[in-house]
Amino acid sequence: MRRFVKALTSAALGATVAFAACEPKAEAQEIQLTGPLAGAKAVRKLRLYREGRFEIAPTVSFSLLDEYRRTIIGGARLQYNFTDWLAVGVWGGYGFGFSTDLTDQIDTVAQRNARTAINVNHTATGTAPFGDQVGRISWVAFPQVQFIPFRGKLALFQALFVDADAYVFLGGGAAGLQERPDCGAAGQTSCSNPSSFTLGSRVAPAFTGGIGLNFWLADLVSLGIEYRAMPFSWNRGGFDSRGGPPSGNFPDNKVDSSDQTFKFNQMLSISVGVMLGDRKTSP
Amino acid sequence: MNFRIEPAGSAGRIERKPDEARNKPVEKMSKCFALAAAATLLLAPVNAFAQKGPTKADAPGAGQTQELDLDQPADAKPAGQEGTANPAAPAGGICEIDPSACPKGQDLGEAAKRKVKADIYAVEQIYALRYHRFELQPYWNFTLNDQFVSHPGPGLAMNYYLTNVLAVGLNGNFYSGLNVDSDFNFQNRRATRVAVPLNEYSWSGALDFTYVPVYGKFAGFSNFIFSYDIFVQGGVGAISTRPIPVIDPDNRKFDFAPKVAFNVGIGLRVFLTRWLAANIMIADYIFPEKLESLSIAPGPVGQPNNPTSPSNSATWLQDGASVTNNVQAQIGISVFLPFSFNYRLPK
Repeated sequence: MRRFVKALTSAALGATVAFAACEPKAEAQEIQLTGPLAGAKAVRKLRLYREGRFEIAPTVSFSLLDEYRRTIIGGARLQYNFTDWLAVGVWGGYGFGFSTDLTDQIDTVAQRNARTAINVNHTATGTAPFGDQVGRISWVAFPQVQFIPFRGKLALFQALFVDADAYVFLGGGAAGLQERPDCGAAGQTSCSNPSSFTLGSRVAPAFTGGIGLNFWLADLVSLGIEYRAMPFSWNRGGFDSRGGPPSGNFPDNKVDSSDQTFKFNQMLSISVGVMLGDRKTSP
Repeated sequence: MNFRIEPAGSAGRIERKPDEARNKPVEKMSKCFALAAAATLLLAPVNAFAQKGPTKADAPGAGQTQELDLDQPADAKPAGQEGTANPAAPAGGICEIDPSACPKGQDLGEAAKRKVKADIYAVEQIYALRYHRFELQPYWNFTLNDQFVSHPGPGLAMNYYLTNVLAVGLNGNFYSGLNVDSDFNFQNRRATRVAVPLNEYSWSGALDFTYVPVYGKFAGFSNFIFSYDIFVQGGVGAISTRPIPVIDPDNRKFDFAPKVAFNVGIGLRVFLTRWLAANIMIADYIFPEKLESLSIAPGPVGQPNNPTSPSNSATWLQDGASVTNNVQAQIGISVFLPFSFNYRLPK
């Protein structure tokens, strides 16, 4: 042990003396590699799944946090990928759906009388389905720009390896709505009239944006999952809930644009992308 | 595959372009290192070496460069010395363990002629190992499926990784005072004259198991690389909830009560460093919920012991329980302890 301590002390002393005698001057140096890796790129033969290819991606989208009606949009995303990180295209589809439990409960429980005549669907002699008056999304069409900043791969159960990329998208377009039409104003149908509950059509302009993950199952096929938001205001319940005095937050016996409330409409989408054209490979 | 190296007599000096005068200070520092090493060796006692020093036969002439052919066995001699080489001699490693598996010059020559797949799947060391590390995971949660009452709040998960992909841990959420009764409830009640029973949460806690089936890495903007993994989680615990009195708020007042809750979830974790990660998780807490009764007892008010009185708490809840899903997004960070770790095998 003493010999080891002595050796260690001697080594430290010698190193200190030697370093003290030299002028310390640090400077970075580029290591000059020789051999086949000299000057090589960090990534060679990168599979360029997107660059110069047209994509057709059938999608199914499911709405989140619905109040009266769940919407499922079947459609497609069509886009051209200028590079591996930039694409321009359009997402569109047709919407269908079904009632939430709340809608069914209201339909069953809500009384049809003078106090609810303006807000709950009814006939001249009795009840009518409440689900028929709630707003719904009929179609969507959103041109969008897609950025793909992240490209990589993943290992599933340490056995299956899949190339993947992550993207964000932004766009603007319109959603076609079926919504309770305006009523109650001068020259319009009274809102207590059963015919006022028949849905009308309206186009709501909106922005859209979201994020997504794409898994490349093959050179031609990918599987994607994305989150999308498309906020806009609409009257989802078909109620007269706003527009009255003193602050506009009370009913005014009219259904109009003041009864449309803002909603951050959110959807989850699953897509299967089919790429047209040959896949390229980076040098 | 050929790598060109300098002869042993040049002390392993990296080949340098002759016109690069900026490398001179480094050469000076190299001399300093050499001086320090020499001083150290002079002052220190001489120890035994476990390996023979280079022989004259191994050292090429000064000023020459040597072509090292990595396609040849480790014990092969440079060109011109083939006659002295013994291809059958053990080369250590696999050759000592299983001589039949020892690579031979002929085999490697044949292997070199094979066509190779140009696309390279490089599986390097996992960026951040989880094995035998603690994970502290503070997060904030957002309700995803309750349009009536949202239950945001802070949470904390603590996991210990038994293996690199399996962990056991605890998690807890704090909701008390942070529940938000949506304006939508009021609008709906006023319009339809239908009240929806509402509930709020106080806290939850669970024992969880986490499994990491997916990991990978992304290149960002072709400029930097980050690693990520996808994990699934399941567990059992308790959640404390109570109804918000909506149907008869004048007579009803509920206390929080815990219920057994199961949870499942899936999350994405992006490693910022080897001990710090950002994560997002979707978790579903499933439990039997007690809802406020939609009917009001017809008896006289103010008689708690009267079974027909609205003041009797036994009349306040619906019969049975309703299976409730509290789906929430959890956004937070992961801190792995200890901060550093050692790989079992070299890179």
